[in-house]
Amino acid sequence: MKLTLVTPEKRILIGQEVTEVTLPAYKGELNILPGHQPLVTTLVPGIIRYKATNGTEEAASISWGYCNISPEGVNVLAETVETASEIDYKAAQQDLASAEKRMLTETMDDETWKQLQDQLDHAKARLKMESIVKH
Amino acid sequence: MASLKDIRARIETTKNTQQITKAMKMVSAAKLRRAQNNIINMRPYAQTLIKVIADIAATQRVQHPLLTLKQDQKKVLVVVLSSDRGLCAGFNANINKFVDQYYKSRSSDLEKMDFLFIGKKSAEFFQKRKLPIIDVITKLDREISHQLASKVSERLLSHFLQGDYDEIRMVYNEFKSAISQVVVTETLFPIDLSKQTFNKQETSVGFAIDMIFEPSPEVIIDELLKKHFSVQVYRCMSESVASEHGARMSAMESATNNAKAMINTLTLTYNKLRQEKITTELIEITTGAEALK
Repeated sequence: MKLTLVTPEKRILIGQEVTEVTLPAYKGELNILPGHQPLVTTLVPGIIRYKATNGTEEAASISWGYCNISPEGVNVLAETVETASEIDYKAAQQDLASAEKRMLTETMDDETWKQLQDQLDHAKARLKMESIVKH
Repeated sequence: MASLKDIRARIETTKNTQQITKAMKMVSAAKLRRAQNNIINMRPYAQTLIKVIADIAATQRVQHPLLTLKQDQKKVLVVVLSSDRGLCAGFNANINKFVDQYYKSRSSDLEKMDFLFIGKKSAEFFQKRKLPIIDVITKLDREISHQLASKVSERLLSHFLQGDYDEIRMVYNEFKSAISQVVVTETLFPIDLSKQTFNKQETSVGFAIDMIFEPSPEVIIDELLKKHFSVQVYRCMSESVASEHGARMSAMESATNNAKAMINTLTLTYNKLRQEKITTELIEITTGAEALK
């Protein structure tokens, strides 16, 4: 199964051979093994994990994304992708704090609320990456 | 006739200018390379996106305001990309000339045009000319990031979705190579999918593959279209930035060459003058010596 992971700013993986991919899909975490039914779904802020054929596991945090699963493989378009070493944990902490504060104190329309929720989730995903690396 | 000292001073200043233009050329070359990488890196993302949109729209028969073309009277928002800084040869002048003509020839009762300028140079040019300008965005000349492009695209999109405009067009310098840029217009919205070739995915027995959509195709296509738009805006911006640096690079290159040629002629005149002076002095000395005999 081939995994392709691209963002508007860089190509991260093109046709990498993998045995397993875990994605933060719209309806919850999605684990994809070879031979999965064709599926088109949007992705939410979270962590994408994949196992390469040689057994090594990699992880990266993503913000909004889109995923297309076909018999050939998994195609992921993500808005941003950050690996553990690229993440600015301080900035993530700040994003988390500011989003939380605004959501608790301000009144707002649904649109802003959704944006803040995404910001919150994205920050959480990035912070979670830190603990994944340590294990 | 200029004195020796004057010429020497001119040679010095020309040399200084040459150094500056040389340095600017180097800087532009580095920036150009980065902008070019941007364009190349973005391609797989952009191509997959439009392919998927075309696929879904065709197979699922999804209707979307961003995909509906309007035939009759329309209000058009023209987004013009120029640069904030000068010294890049015809880069901004070409855009200005093009927009000026475009407005005069295309604007009619059927097509009402408004303009939004990105970049200081064109904005300044047209503010004096009474064009219907709705806004000017400047200070973009640092790094063009996708984040920035999505901010701009969100604004344009909200204009479109609120029904302020029926069409959004982009005018920018398309990057052909470091020495050639072409001004082009492109309709960003609505998207004309008829130009896209889509492939209906079929299994070996000829049935269309049964795809699962999470959430529904309508929601997915809505989100994808928005992303597609921001990617298109980002692409146009990157193209424009690459063109700007390319134009500046070649402008600085020829400036450096001109300076070199100028230094050569100046040095030649300087030497001639020096020799002339020496000759005159020699004649004076010898005639002086002759007179004393």
